[in-house]
Amino acid sequence: MDPDSVAKAFVEHYYRTFDTNRAALVGLYQEGSMLSFEGEKFHGAAAIATKLTSLPFTKCAHTVVTVDCQPAGPTGGMLVFVSGSLQVDGEHHIKFSQMFHLMPLGPGNFYVHNDMFRLNYG
Amino acid sequence: MDPDSVSKAFVQHYYHTFDSNRAALVGLYQDGSMLTFEGEKFGGPAAIAGKLGSLPFQQCQHKIDTVDCQPSGPQGGVLVFVSGTITTGPGEHPLKFSQMFHLLPAGGSFYVQNDMFRLNYG
Repeated sequence: MDPDSVAKAFVEHYYRTFDTNRAALVGLYQEGSMLSFEGEKFHGAAAIATKLTSLPFTKCAHTVVTVDCQPAGPTGGMLVFVSGSLQVDGEHHIKFSQMFHLMPLGPGNFYVHNDMFRLNYG
Repeated sequence: MDPDSVSKAFVQHYYHTFDSNRAALVGLYQDGSMLTFEGEKFGGPAAIAGKLGSLPFQQCQHKIDTVDCQPSGPQGGVLVFVSGTITTGPGEHPLKFSQMFHLLPAGGSFYVQNDMFRLNYG
């Protein structure tokens, strides 16, 4: 699978899961995974999922505007760089950017090793 | 050196160099380096420096709003995720941007393996 296809499939899966069943995101992370969310750091799948599920809104809709990706180097990982907007509980759209470092678990199978998220206040 | 110190020093150096002597950025990249600039891909220091040097403005000034970083894995790399604004000349409006770097260690220092840049249009 080429990096662009992996990135596209991952981004679709990630934000669809986020918007429909946030608790299921836990399966995308592992023990060594890291999340920086608006500057706050979380380590490991459990802590990351707890943060994501405790975000103070019930409905959320992401609109992805750009997806860029590059191979991350000799370990076979991939970097995915996303920009878009999100709407929570029917309020105004807020712009965001987010980057993921996906690491291979096996052929065609990746987990999120690094995740950094920022709102881009305008 | 811890990732926070590496990323802080790198970000200061990178944008200071960009704003004062763009051609010198070539020294931060190596043969395997990649740049994705507004969706357009460049590989290797010559092509990357060629792109950065040909951007259609003479002066520019970056202002950094946020810097996040995480270790990228067993290679000792550092992921740096930046948001801020860029002003490309007197009287021009500042434009919001996000950028991510993957720094890898080499010879007691770091080089930019991956670089992805996007303007965040309002």
